Amino acid sequence: MEREAFLSRVGRASMTAELPSSPAVPAELPDYPPADLVALFRNRAQAVNAVVHGPVSRHGAPVTIAGIVTGHGARTFVSWDSLPASGVPGALTAQGLRRLEFGLTHEDRDLSAFTSLDVGVTGSTAGLAESGSLVLEHGPGRPRLASLLPEIHVALIDVDTISTTLAHWASKNPETAAKTTNLVIITGPSRTGDIEQQLNLGVHGPRHVHIVLVR
Amino acid sequence: MGTPKAMAVEHGMRTLHQKREKAVDEFPLMEHLRDRSRAIRLHALSNLDRLLDHFADRVGAAGGKVHWADDAAEANRIVLDILQRTDSKLVVKSKSMVSEEIEVNHHLESEGIEVVETDLGEFIVQLAEDSPSHIIAPVLHMTRQDVGEVFAEKLGVPYTDDPFELNRIAREHLRPIFLKADAGISGVNLAVAESGSVILVTNEGNGRMVTTAPRVHIALMGMERIVSRWQDAAVVLETLARSATGQKLSVYTNVVTGPRKEEDPDGPEEVHVVIIDNGRSDILSGDTAEILACIRCGACLNVCPVYRTAGGHAYGTVYSGPVGSIVTPGLHGMDPWWELPYASTLCGACEEVCPVRIQIPSMLLKLRQRAAAEGRLPGWLQRGMSRYARTVTVPTKWARAKKWAHRLSALISVRGWIRRMPGPGRGWTSSRDFPQPAKESFQEWWRSNRGT
Repeated sequence: MEREAFLSRVGRASMTAELPSSPAVPAELPDYPPADLVALFRNRAQAVNAVVHGPVSRHGAPVTIAGIVTGHGARTFVSWDSLPASGVPGALTAQGLRRLEFGLTHEDRDLSAFTSLDVGVTGSTAGLAESGSLVLEHGPGRPRLASLLPEIHVALIDVDTISTTLAHWASKNPETAAKTTNLVIITGPSRTGDIEQQLNLGVHGPRHVHIVLVR
Repeated sequence: MGTPKAMAVEHGMRTLHQKREKAVDEFPLMEHLRDRSRAIRLHALSNLDRLLDHFADRVGAAGGKVHWADDAAEANRIVLDILQRTDSKLVVKSKSMVSEEIEVNHHLESEGIEVVETDLGEFIVQLAEDSPSHIIAPVLHMTRQDVGEVFAEKLGVPYTDDPFELNRIAREHLRPIFLKADAGISGVNLAVAESGSVILVTNEGNGRMVTTAPRVHIALMGMERIVSRWQDAAVVLETLARSATGQKLSVYTNVVTGPRKEEDPDGPEEVHVVIIDNGRSDILSGDTAEILACIRCGACLNVCPVYRTAGGHAYGTVYSGPVGSIVTPGLHGMDPWWELPYASTLCGACEEVCPVRIQIPSMLLKLRQRAAAEGRLPGWLQRGMSRYARTVTVPTKWARAKKWAHRLSALISVRGWIRRMPGPGRGWTSSRDFPQPAKESFQEWWRSNRGT
């Protein structure tokens, strides 16, 4: 159907629509000020089965992350190019892990590389304390699959970027959706309750989510 | 109730409902955000043509393409065209109600395209050649043993009824399919007019796989799923997961704005959004327009005493429960769906839990009135109800009727109970007895015992 015809029919329908009047709401969201944002973030992220580390210093982050991945017996990893702490990929290769590159063109994709991927290391734009969520903006040097394909996702987050709720964060950052091709808000590891409402982690995405707080 | 299937449904409902209650109680802003969500959704419906127009411009500016589908057949044709043009033979799909509504799988499979459902529940439904029974929990009606048998039979794996093991089998089976797939088809939870974004929420991550791994992403969108701005979408998302599963947010809130850019390391090369009317403008033009504000959380299903007893399949349509009883006659006509609005006790629990406070019971009543006005009720009921109305509105007639009810029922009562009623009452007494109307009315009793 043509756009014009479609939209003019919708316009005609709206004219006779019997809709109730809207509730009056203030323009601004009410305040939601928790006493301690970092403590709330930690508490809520753990409640959805993420593991929270730190806060650690920028210097300490590579060691912390190397400890996490060797604890899982991981062998391969991918990493975003820029992270809130430098030296992370180097610390992992020094532990004997192999770094896979994400040149993910659709013509020549190596399926075996993807199925044997153990760890994805990413940064994050913001944290949402109330839900224990991470905001990831994907783009150049920041592949989407790093937080999706591996069994283990390690995310670094600068504690100063932790905000209160998604609604509050979005109202302060109204341009985010428009300026990023792909934005993902991650709240804990992949999960399902489809079979008899029993919690099951790591369905299609990572089974383990480690959040490293960096100060 | 009592069969394993019925117990599975009852258990599922109760769990989802309790989780919702807890999540709503814990969040001090919930009531405020419900009002806000309602205002946002109603505003979107009042400005739908303008928002969709703007949305299409923005999707185009981001490098994607919007298609307009009048009905299911056209939507399916558009999807098929895209897939054939891009030489796509294997398609992965994430859960979407609108795709069930237009039966896109059936259509594509008849054209030789393989479609794989990737949401664990939908994957099981597809293997079992069954249909989903709940908006957000498609296999609520199946036990773990049912699932184990389906996997053993269709995937050739040893039987297990351990949910963890079943989960692992599905993950390993689907992983290579995601990476090999030519195209991904998803639904749309919300679209943002101002940015041209489509938002998909999933817990498993399959929604992200479907929109990231294949070359082509096709998003199927009911035309009402739109809000003005990103910050409006964020408010609605806060209420969606809490109402659906009791989570604060779903695990993955995936915001897709056009295809990958040249320098992006991954993502689809083409993004298509198919905006579907399929009867929605008919709903919008009338007195049940408000139902289009629904954000498909499923909370009204979980509290509905009728849904909890009958299960989703009993409604005979894609959209079940209280919301479905309004949406279905709206989308597909009163014939044959006029009976659905009667599948309600009008208890109001649905409106109580609705994150956007949709006035479901009053719309069910409007549809009942419409059905009666169109003469759809069986003759005995139509005549019976008008006679009943004429009687109860005149006190003297009512008093006489009560006397006769006692006298006549005495003929078929045994010790104050009627075992078998004649005529339309037969249905009632097929499974339980009916008390005989009392000799003395409450009013008479009051006059002789407490009267002055």
